[in-house]
Amino acid sequence: MLVTWRYRIRKSIIQWFDPRAWLIFYACFLACTLLFWDVRYLAVFAFIALVILIGSGIRVSEMRRPLMFIAVFGIFYSALTFLTGRGGMEVYESEHLITRLQANFTIFGWQPAINVTLEKAFYSLGIFLRVSSLASMTILIPYSLNPAQYGIIFRGLGMSDKIAYAMDLTMRFIPTFGRDFMMTMDAQRARGYELENLRGGLIAQVRKMAPLIVPVTIHAIIGSEDIIDAMDLRAFGVGPRVWLEQLHYKKRDYVLIALGILLFFTCGGLSMFGFGKFWVPI
Amino acid sequence: MAQSSAISIENVSFRYRDRQELAIRDISFQMMPGELLLLAGASGCGKTTLIRCINGLIPRSYKGEITGRILLHDQETTDFSLARISQIVGTVLQDPERQILGTRVMNEVAFGLENLALSRPEIIKRIDSSLEYLGILQLRNRETFNLSGGEKQKVALAGVLAMRPSILLLDEPLASLDPASAQETLRLVRQLTDQGMTVLMVEHRVEDVFNIHPDRVIFMEEGEIRYLGALDGLSKAVNYHEIKLPAPLIVERAAADPPPHPVQFQPADGKPQPLVQFEDVSFGYETHTTVLKGISLSINRGDVIAVLGANGAGKTTMVKHAIGLLKPKSGRVLVEGKDTRHISVAQVAKTLGYVFQSPSHMLFAPTVYEELAFGPTNLRHDPEEIRKEVQEAIDIVHLTGREKDPPLALSFGQQKRVSIAAILAMRSRILVMDEPTAGQDYRNYMEFMDAILQLPNFEAILFITHDIDLAVIYANRVLLVDNGQVVADGKPEEVLSNFDLLSATRLVPTSLLKLNLQRVEATGHFQRAEALAHI
Repeated sequence: MLVTWRYRIRKSIIQWFDPRAWLIFYACFLACTLLFWDVRYLAVFAFIALVILIGSGIRVSEMRRPLMFIAVFGIFYSALTFLTGRGGMEVYESEHLITRLQANFTIFGWQPAINVTLEKAFYSLGIFLRVSSLASMTILIPYSLNPAQYGIIFRGLGMSDKIAYAMDLTMRFIPTFGRDFMMTMDAQRARGYELENLRGGLIAQVRKMAPLIVPVTIHAIIGSEDIIDAMDLRAFGVGPRVWLEQLHYKKRDYVLIALGILLFFTCGGLSMFGFGKFWVPI
Repeated sequence: MAQSSAISIENVSFRYRDRQELAIRDISFQMMPGELLLLAGASGCGKTTLIRCINGLIPRSYKGEITGRILLHDQETTDFSLARISQIVGTVLQDPERQILGTRVMNEVAFGLENLALSRPEIIKRIDSSLEYLGILQLRNRETFNLSGGEKQKVALAGVLAMRPSILLLDEPLASLDPASAQETLRLVRQLTDQGMTVLMVEHRVEDVFNIHPDRVIFMEEGEIRYLGALDGLSKAVNYHEIKLPAPLIVERAAADPPPHPVQFQPADGKPQPLVQFEDVSFGYETHTTVLKGISLSINRGDVIAVLGANGAGKTTMVKHAIGLLKPKSGRVLVEGKDTRHISVAQVAKTLGYVFQSPSHMLFAPTVYEELAFGPTNLRHDPEEIRKEVQEAIDIVHLTGREKDPPLALSFGQQKRVSIAAILAMRSRILVMDEPTAGQDYRNYMEFMDAILQLPNFEAILFITHDIDLAVIYANRVLLVDNGQVVADGKPEEVLSNFDLLSATRLVPTSLLKLNLQRVEATGHFQRAEALAHI
């Protein structure tokens, strides 16, 4: 099946807390990570993320793919930054050369070479730490938060009934959408369509995806009429609704929220006073 | 004092905002509390529009011009809110998959009650009593997506019943169910009406509904009521080609008409060796589950195979192996002697063409011509050859002149024909269909199947179905699939005479099957009811 929920009840740091408290902490963590470029600060955040990852109770075999993706994406992005030096010029002005690597071949007379500088190396390291801590904190959410509670979680975070229920509905219909997609994929493959053989530029490739995109979209539109009818017929949106499931904050949840907010203001203050800017050991 | 009616419809007509013609015209009838009324008619005759008028979606969600009066328990509903109507009228839509909104059963049943802002203890009380009433309390904490079709239907019904309506509208509730699940649903409906619920049931499977003895029947045609009365009168008032009546009634009526033209499958020329062979095939989607267990069979030239079995028995998984979409975990599938593990799905498509249940899962092109050219182009046929193949396919399915029409703008029946033509254009040798009659009314699907059997290009036909009568009328071989195994493979006269086996595979003998079995010694093989009338 294309879509299966990763959520299970586990012995997990995250599931020990109320999901709303966790999301507030997560948002604070995200904001704080984005405030700094200093690898020493970022290393602290990466360490916290690593501890939470290990404490999430998710087996490596369950999340092998996303972990691989994070690793490959993080390394690729950092390597690209390192090789091109792009982006870093916004946070540093001068560079300290460590060594110059020069290829022993030429391409049409051009000899590839890169200047390995302290700034480039630390900037890439900073990127890697940021990407990996943000990604690993984010990837834990679908494994740890019950999809059946998304509506009540967002309602509890202050969103309206309609928006909160839209979250619930999204979670409900993602597997249906996935199944429709697989069915269309099978139907077109049975007509000799091979997704692997898509060639041409981006626009040409998107055009060649039409046999998948059009039926799936049409099906979703047709289906949505039934969904709207089903909601109308059971009095959705006529007034404030009661949510059957209730979430209750415990002491530890208040502590976590306070910790998140404290972290946010501390980091914000540090950042305002110039701490945590780009740093190299000179 | 006379008892007041539950539903009273007085001269109701309705036209959708973007349409010229009326969808329903001058409809009048009454239903008394505790009455079960069957509403039958061809696709597009206005049944769903009538349902929407009663449950308030018209004119609140579907805008248009409505005239006449609708009364529920003697109160006119014009000024009622949907919330108020929803506590009087409960509606179960055709596709429970789209009606179920909650991720878990409990949340789904609670949905309407939460919207009515009832107290939590009251909601829980009603959830439990609805689930218990329908005998599905054990599903309370299950995820809705993983339920079977029959379970989904019951959960959708529980969600509606929890709102304590006194009137229930059921829009083709049997459409996606296997025969045994359909019978269970019908028994429930009978039980509800016996306890005082007023039920209006739209259904194509008229014969099945007859078994629970509806009090009256409405037959609609082109937006109008053509018959309203007792069951006995229906077969006389309505053409027996239009709705599926019990076989003895058809035989009675058809005796006066000329015998039907025999429909016989004439396979295209081909080699005598098997087209497809399954050799001890086993498969599971995950390592610890087994969906297919040791299947061995072959598909030969001239076969018209009906694959029967309950939902989840493994029918579709088996067929997906034949077309190479799935590869066996053990054993092998040979298509024209080649192992499907070593050839692509595109290569298999030259032998087997697969028509999916819903045409909207495959139609995408801006014109019928391009839609039909898609397959042969993928198979790298020569452009001149493709032009010929497409034109021939269009002619065979009687869509000549519609080449430039967008397939998605055609009627459902025409879309279905486009999906068959798409396979014809690929020159596949075996036609494989999943629930070929789904979504079509009786007349349309019988004409459709007659036309398919007479197509000149195929060497064999295989279809998956829940409808035993399709196997009785059209198949010359039946595969009964149960729990991942082929439990019977043979002529329909042999396989379908074993009622114990049918019951074990959640199939229910129909009146046509029973009548054929009574007469098989004289006829030699199964026939449609119209033909039996002349023997």
